[in-house]
Amino acid sequence: MKKYLYVFRGYDENYEKQSPEEMQAHFQRWGEWMEKVQAVGHALNDHEGKVVSENGKVVTDGPWSEGKELVGGYVVLEAKDYDHATELSKDCPIFEFNYTTEIREVIEGEE
Amino acid sequence: MQAKQLVDHFFRTEYGKVVSHLTSRFGSTHLELAEDCVQEALMKAMQSWGYNEIPDNPTGWIVRVAGNKMIDQLRRDQKTSSQEIPDRVEEFNDNLSFESINDDVVRMLFACCHPSLSSEYQIILTLKILGGLSVREISAALLKKEETVAKAYTRAKKKFKHEEIKLTLPPANEIEERLEIVVKIIYLLFNEGYKSAEGDSLIREELTEEAIRLNHVLLQSEICDTPTANALMALMLFHSSRFDARVDEGGNLVNLEKQDRKKWDQEKITAGLDFLEKASDTEELNEYIIQAAISATHCRASTFEETDWENILRLYDLQLHLSPNPIVELNRIVPLEKVHGSLLALKEIERLEATEFFEEYYLFYAIKAQVLENMGALEDCKNALNKSLLLVKNEKEKAYLKERLESLEA
Repeated sequence: MKKYLYVFRGYDENYEKQSPEEMQAHFQRWGEWMEKVQAVGHALNDHEGKVVSENGKVVTDGPWSEGKELVGGYVVLEAKDYDHATELSKDCPIFEFNYTTEIREVIEGEE
Repeated sequence: MQAKQLVDHFFRTEYGKVVSHLTSRFGSTHLELAEDCVQEALMKAMQSWGYNEIPDNPTGWIVRVAGNKMIDQLRRDQKTSSQEIPDRVEEFNDNLSFESINDDVVRMLFACCHPSLSSEYQIILTLKILGGLSVREISAALLKKEETVAKAYTRAKKKFKHEEIKLTLPPANEIEERLEIVVKIIYLLFNEGYKSAEGDSLIREELTEEAIRLNHVLLQSEICDTPTANALMALMLFHSSRFDARVDEGGNLVNLEKQDRKKWDQEKITAGLDFLEKASDTEELNEYIIQAAISATHCRASTFEETDWENILRLYDLQLHLSPNPIVELNRIVPLEKVHGSLLALKEIERLEATEFFEEYYLFYAIKAQVLENMGALEDCKNALNKSLLLVKNEKEKAYLKERLESLEA
């Protein structure tokens, strides 16, 4: 098994307009999916962030120029290969909204 | 704790509690800010709890996050306000208990049911703030346009902003009168959900649950634990005990006579009887006690034939004595026929028909048809059913009447 990183990108107004009841239903489906695919991960703050460049000389607020570039969160999980990793992403609740998932293999240092 | 272990509707009810708490704490003029902060806190909870475990005290978590957001914003606006703002939300949360949050919710309930608002606004405010429903959900539940609900909500909320409505308990000399409004709104809310469902039946069932929940909140508060509030609780529990039995697999209505009484929720009936006993702890009668007692009589009968119609008729007479009302007079026909026979019932129908009050009311003709059918006057019965069919609006009721007509023609 290899490790894969899922990066969730996008921006969807409807996501923030959910009612409390819808929010609960959504996050409970997340919990179920995370458990099912045995993933670990975190949400990222949508509204704040810094971009640092040139050895810290240039600091700007927010990494995004466009809403659709927003990274909402990431998870890491184990899969056999890319096909399997893609398969596991299929019923991820992120797709209830206008988000995309970028899947990358994590390369671990071998001793 | 895992995501799936969170109780149903936790976010929605938490929304109401925390908005009530923060608005009580910082003043009714900040209602809108409190709502925004709680919404944001829930959003944050949704994001982080989906990835990780839920904190041990999820309520405390939401109060803290929403409260701190609120304090931050109030500090930013401090120039325009002389109010003292605490540094951190912990300062006022040390003695936050179930009782104190419940009191905040009761205060908000009185505020939402403020006499300066129409019943329509009172219902919308209650559902939005205390029920934690979105405008879209409210419009689906009340079968109103989203735009109408949104407008009503904005207008009603202005009264909070300008402090025409404050989050204080009504003074002792007004409490009875004000509580009467709160009880009425809870009952209307229940009826919105209960009356034979058009639209999304799931969200309508939730309305009845919400009404029962709010009544529970009310009864937790000593000053509101009155016979009337207990009687309403009993009434709602009896009605909702029949939820599953009153619709068949095809979604058609089943009347009391044909309902499978094994499907009645005995737990709710037992609980309802307890509340009715508490409610009866008074000399004073009110319409909720009588209605609950009628409903209890049905619940006690294990078959339709065993129904104690004499008792029901007595209760109807009591209700009419208390407050004369043509709708009650109409419904009284049913026990009247059972006790005194169809001929007397028909006479009463003719008396009511002469008042012209029921000209446009389908149920009048449906009841008339039933009596005529029992008398064997089939042609007159068909005429009454046809008239009822012309007036009925609800699709399920319509289907039910059609079926009756067809069975006569067969």
